[in-house]
Amino acid sequence: MNTNNNVYTVIYTTIIVVVVAALLAFVSQSLKAKQDANEKAETISQMLTAAQYGTKAEMDKLSNTAKLEKYAQEIDEAYTINLKGEKVSDLPLDKVYSPGELKRQNYNIKGGANKTGEPELPVFLFKNGTVVVPIYGAGLWGPIWGYIAFEQGTPVIKGAYFDHESETAGLGAKIKDDPAFQNEFVGEKVDFSNANVFEIVKGGAPKDAEGKSLIDNKIDAITGATMTSQGLDAAIDTWLGAYANHFGVAILLGSTDMQKNPCKCASCPCEDCPCDCHCTPGQDGCHCPGCECPECSGNMKHKED
Amino acid sequence: MDAKLKETILNPIFKGNPITVLVLGICSSLAVTVTMKGALVMALSVIVVTGISSLILSLLRNTIPGRVRIIVQLVVVAMMVILVDQILKSFEATYAIDKQLSVYIGLIITNCIVMGRIEAFALGNKPWPSFLDGLANGAGYGMILLVVAFFRELLGSGTLFGIDILNRFGYVPNNLVILPPFALILLGCIVWVQRSIQKDLQEK
Amino acid sequence: MEYLSLFTKSIFVDNMIFAYFLGMCSFLAVSKNVKTAAGLGVAVIAVLLITLPVNYLLNTYVLAPDALIEGVDLSFLSFIVFIAVIAAIVQIVEMLVEKFSPELYSALGIFLPLIAVNCAILGGSLFMQQKDFINIGEATVYALGSGIGWFLAIVSLAAIREKMSYSNVPDALKGLGITFITVGLMGIAFMTFMGISL
Repeated sequence: MNTNNNVYTVIYTTIIVVVVAALLAFVSQSLKAKQDANEKAETISQMLTAAQYGTKAEMDKLSNTAKLEKYAQEIDEAYTINLKGEKVSDLPLDKVYSPGELKRQNYNIKGGANKTGEPELPVFLFKNGTVVVPIYGAGLWGPIWGYIAFEQGTPVIKGAYFDHESETAGLGAKIKDDPAFQNEFVGEKVDFSNANVFEIVKGGAPKDAEGKSLIDNKIDAITGATMTSQGLDAAIDTWLGAYANHFGVAILLGSTDMQKNPCKCASCPCEDCPCDCHCTPGQDGCHCPGCECPECSGNMKHKED
Repeated sequence: MDAKLKETILNPIFKGNPITVLVLGICSSLAVTVTMKGALVMALSVIVVTGISSLILSLLRNTIPGRVRIIVQLVVVAMMVILVDQILKSFEATYAIDKQLSVYIGLIITNCIVMGRIEAFALGNKPWPSFLDGLANGAGYGMILLVVAFFRELLGSGTLFGIDILNRFGYVPNNLVILPPFALILLGCIVWVQRSIQKDLQEK
Repeated sequence: MEYLSLFTKSIFVDNMIFAYFLGMCSFLAVSKNVKTAAGLGVAVIAVLLITLPVNYLLNTYVLAPDALIEGVDLSFLSFIVFIAVIAAIVQIVEMLVEKFSPELYSALGIFLPLIAVNCAILGGSLFMQQKDFINIGEATVYALGSGIGWFLAIVSLAAIREKMSYSNVPDALKGLGITFITVGLMGIAFMTFMGISL
């Protein structure tokens, strides 16, 4: 048989491509439900780990059904917010955001060509008094994502868990595999009034005797994994920055519910304040607690100066 | 087993080692050798992938048009790796294994050992020897990975398979060792040792 | 991202060889002398310049979720599509060069099949997918930059190896052994660029 014939070559290539594509599409479609179930259970175990219901190793010992049951038991409330920090809608209590959905929201937060709509940022409240939010971004080789748990009504981090698709084992992969790195986040305070809400810097954070960072919103980067650390830093800044309007105000007003303080001040002392501040009238004009705009003179932070 | 088959199996392990003699698969050997565990997972998957893809392409070898053979090879290898990934991902019991493996999927597909052996051996030989050649080359590759990973994890983190070995004696892990350039320097030393023993491999 | 900063960044900071260690196999095998190294370098630039924009278009308009048909996510196919595109383009380039410029073919021809399995090429497409470039211009600039970075790396290694052939290297270390070590040292030197943001 002459295998160098043009017609033969074209037909052969076409058949190979069609067969391969069909096979992959078939496998991918028929297994999708099972894969999604596994992915959901994994996401839930990561959120529960961040919310301090146990270590990841303990979570991994549970079966998928046990994970779902535990989650159903512990979840208190779940809803989405927009960039202004306003509540958009309630989420069903069994709904979690897979990395794929986080990716889409990541595009929406950043804007640009891949934007598909207004960002819907999920907030998960747990019965043990933690509130969990996701983050998503790019590491060295592929996407990284994770969950950060706050103590409700404060900017104090209670726990964190990160995952990645393809970071280097032993280096960048430490964001997932090294509980010591994740523990560094515990007790740190996020600065919602700053565009750089949290910093992961190389050798930047002085530590106490127990290896805890002494600066509130700064922890040490992973040695040998500069790019992954930078990616995680950027992911946290982007995502927690997007939640800043929600948490910033809620935290300073001592409430997690934005809707209780819908007041919008008509005479904000800052003339061209670009923010949609939620102000409270005071003797000397308005306070705009939680307003992250650095120019705004009504900002609580400037107030203290 | 006849002598030729034996040669097919033994040659890639030392004398014709894919990494130190044929210079194939360097990229992945730098990325996965920071820990023993990563090296082991990668070694096992490459053994399986080179073996099976050599077998499949050897079966197809008389039908593949010469001009598009590289496309056909790449498509078959990539398809196989993706299929395995998809199947492992769908069962609760194997999902954890897949999470370990999926990190290396891209590296396995582009690993030139797989392509190199198909091109150099499987396309010109019968399925059974091709399968063995694939397995043996994967093993030769895996062996070097484990040697490099042994030194890098021991000196770079003070551990082996994540178990503390040196740190308890007050060892301070050397951060240079976990960076990719050190893997290259280690590979250079391995080549040095190998060629001191096997003088016929030395270049002039 | 500005084109100029993206360009400089992809040459030095994100150098395919020294920052990501991609495309090592052909980098080590074909760096014995400057002339052939330069040939392979040019071929890599050319192939990157064609495959990256093509893969960018495929990724944006076919593979991305909802791109082709609402609700259909074809991203599981991205590996195989990228690889097939690269292999096909390498083959087409090979045929075109053979037909129209036999001289160039005799100089470059043997490297073209090598390029299809060069991890730097697939790496380029995968990084493109991850970096979320907003238009095809950025993808092209990135392709040009990383190609040039690869070219510079292989030419400088070849130059060092040419010089080194006059050095007194232990017999067992000659050739591959000393090359590994040299590349390791070059890699350490290039780490000074690591983490610089432009």
